[in-house]
Amino acid sequence: MKNKQNILSEKISMELPFTVPENYFEQFALQIDQQIGYKVSNHRFVKSWMYFAAMFVGLFLVGGEMFYSANQRNTAKNSENYESYVLSQVSESTVMDYYVNEPTK
Amino acid sequence: MNQTEEELLLKLSQPKTRNAAFSSLVRTYQERLYWHIRKMVLSHDDSNDILQNAFMKAWNGIDGFRGDSQFSTWLYRIATNETLTFLANKRMRGFSSMDEVEESLLQNLRSDAYFDGNDLQLRLQKAILTLPEKQRLVFNMKYFDDITYEQMESILGTSVGALKASYHYAVKKIEKYFEEEK
Repeated sequence: MKNKQNILSEKISMELPFTVPENYFEQFALQIDQQIGYKVSNHRFVKSWMYFAAMFVGLFLVGGEMFYSANQRNTAKNSENYESYVLSQVSESTVMDYYVNEPTK
Repeated sequence: MNQTEEELLLKLSQPKTRNAAFSSLVRTYQERLYWHIRKMVLSHDDSNDILQNAFMKAWNGIDGFRGDSQFSTWLYRIATNETLTFLANKRMRGFSSMDEVEESLLQNLRSDAYFDGNDLQLRLQKAILTLPEKQRLVFNMKYFDDITYEQMESILGTSVGALKASYHYAVKKIEKYFEEEK
């Protein structure tokens, strides 16, 4: 350590005075990938594309199921509502008459 | 060897996972190895070529790696050999003396767009270039990267005692260079 201080003379930084081109290391790694026949970007693209497709199909199925259930519930509710509405339009005695007196064929 | 290295070794030994494992190895060590080379040859373009050669040598020799040492040690060794071979070839390609090689390295450094040091840093690089190659390696590894002598021993194949002596002489020479410059 003493030696280092002598050389540094409190002036010379131990940092290297060199730089590299922008994105050099990313590009270098891709270049080596290419040389060894590793299609990293393709693999990643296909992988992420597959994830998206699976997610989309999943969402479609879950959404479809939810829409179908809601629709079914609405239909049932609508028919219940219709029945109540019809019943509310006729008097109770008329309804009783309807059930008691069977229509003649 | 830690768990990650064992896993990596396993993946490198299997053809299906070999490419992906090597790709991650490159991403892990490329920066360290690049700076190790750059400190020796100074120019970015030369460092880039040597680093590529080193990784391709490692790729082609992957079957020979048995896990006796760490990946970093193995890769450092390959990168060091590639660097020394590059410098030896440069000497053979028309530079008759060591000084001429070093002078050409310095010329390249001055004109390198990727050198952003001040005058003092340039003088330090000049001083380092006066050292013999092996001593330069030891000095750079110790001074800039603070690599332990034990690690250096496994990379360079030189005993700890010899490495300590080498670093000591390198420091003395650089100090003398600066004193004489005054």
